[in-house]
Amino acid sequence: MLEKGKISASQLFMMMFLAVVASGVMWIPGITGKYAHNDLWLSPLLAAIPGFFTTFIVLRLHKMYPEMTVVQYSEEILGRFAGKAFSLLILFFYLHISGVTVRYYAEFIVTNFLHKTPISVVVITMLAVCALAVMGGVEVVGRTASLFFPVFIVPLLAIPPLLGDMEFHQLFPVLEHGLLPPIKGAFVPGGWFCEMFLLSFYLPYVRDQQKTVRTCMYGVAAIMFFFVVVNLFSLFVLGKQVGDFLFPVNAVFRYISVADFFENPESLVMAIWILGMFVKISVFYYAVVLGASQWLGVSDYRPLALPFGFLIGIFSFWSIPNIDVGIFFDIFTFPLYSPLIQTLLPLLLLLVGTWRKRRQTVKQNTAG
Amino acid sequence: MKWGIILSVTALAITLILFEWPKLRKLPKKDKLVFLALILVAWTLSMFDLANLPGPTSVVHAMFKPLQTIFE
Repeated sequence: MLEKGKISASQLFMMMFLAVVASGVMWIPGITGKYAHNDLWLSPLLAAIPGFFTTFIVLRLHKMYPEMTVVQYSEEILGRFAGKAFSLLILFFYLHISGVTVRYYAEFIVTNFLHKTPISVVVITMLAVCALAVMGGVEVVGRTASLFFPVFIVPLLAIPPLLGDMEFHQLFPVLEHGLLPPIKGAFVPGGWFCEMFLLSFYLPYVRDQQKTVRTCMYGVAAIMFFFVVVNLFSLFVLGKQVGDFLFPVNAVFRYISVADFFENPESLVMAIWILGMFVKISVFYYAVVLGASQWLGVSDYRPLALPFGFLIGIFSFWSIPNIDVGIFFDIFTFPLYSPLIQTLLPLLLLLVGTWRKRRQTVKQNTAG
Repeated sequence: MKWGIILSVTALAITLILFEWPKLRKLPKKDKLVFLALILVAWTLSMFDLANLPGPTSVVHAMFKPLQTIFE
């Protein structure tokens, strides 16, 4: 096994949570709000459905092959050639998404905070730090996640109710335009929830295996709950205009000011968000490096961390000339691309794997 | 010839190689080859004006275009 480290179930929870939420919390309320308006808080409930489904699939695959990641068991199930082709597609997807994620992060930082910094500087600095985490191994990634998780959620959940003036009546009328707007608003977040498939790279290294199923399901539920709450906060503070903001969460924090000397708390939020993005990018980056190392059959994944960092940096620039293209990708392409690779393909793998195992048992029964 | 980019990317590639080489020396030949191949691929890609080239994002866009009209 390439990775000899072990993580705890709670670290897994925090890694997956941050991997989905860190970028989601910035983008999702805006995009959901655009379609669902004041019903945007319902959308995460619907969007969680593909999340639970994907988690179910990955857990069942893990049960069949507890020591293996998707790269390894796809070869077991589909044979060497098809298995390698299959996992190459999946790895490529994660490499691509890592690049896109890093790019969004960098664009966001530059547009909102470091106006004069070249984007490449932000990209390189983040990737350099994440490379250190990846080279440290799964334990380091897990530990940074558990370190930054409370720092991430406590302010985001505590500050708006305490300091923002919330108008609860904005909740009404509920479902004024029927169920369709929240459903439309759930498409994009649905794509985010499918990221739970990253579990397939981490489950083999969890120390307390009996807790994994519960932990993963709690993870999806927690993410869902978090988005509902964040959407509600945005709604209560921003009112009907919540759909007009590209980044409602940012707007909410800009709006909050305490006694005129604690203004601009959004810089605090930004710092916290960077921590979350660091974990997210590390989780993806590590999955790519570990998966590629298994695919290539090298004896250690650590030397490959830096070349893949370089590649992710390249992918963050490739064919995304400006952020508008990126946003277009997010709203229209990602909701289909993500479940295709992270839910549908694993589902097919699971079906083939289950069928093969059943055939094997039948053969054994008839032979014996 | 955008010398700025070429020089900085080459410098980056060399730095990465120098950084990893001590650990790489002890590993089997395959690992060394894979490492150098990946760096080479990344270096080659950065020679192009990537932002405007069709790449993974555009490929996926093109793939899902027919379905997009349904979604609107």
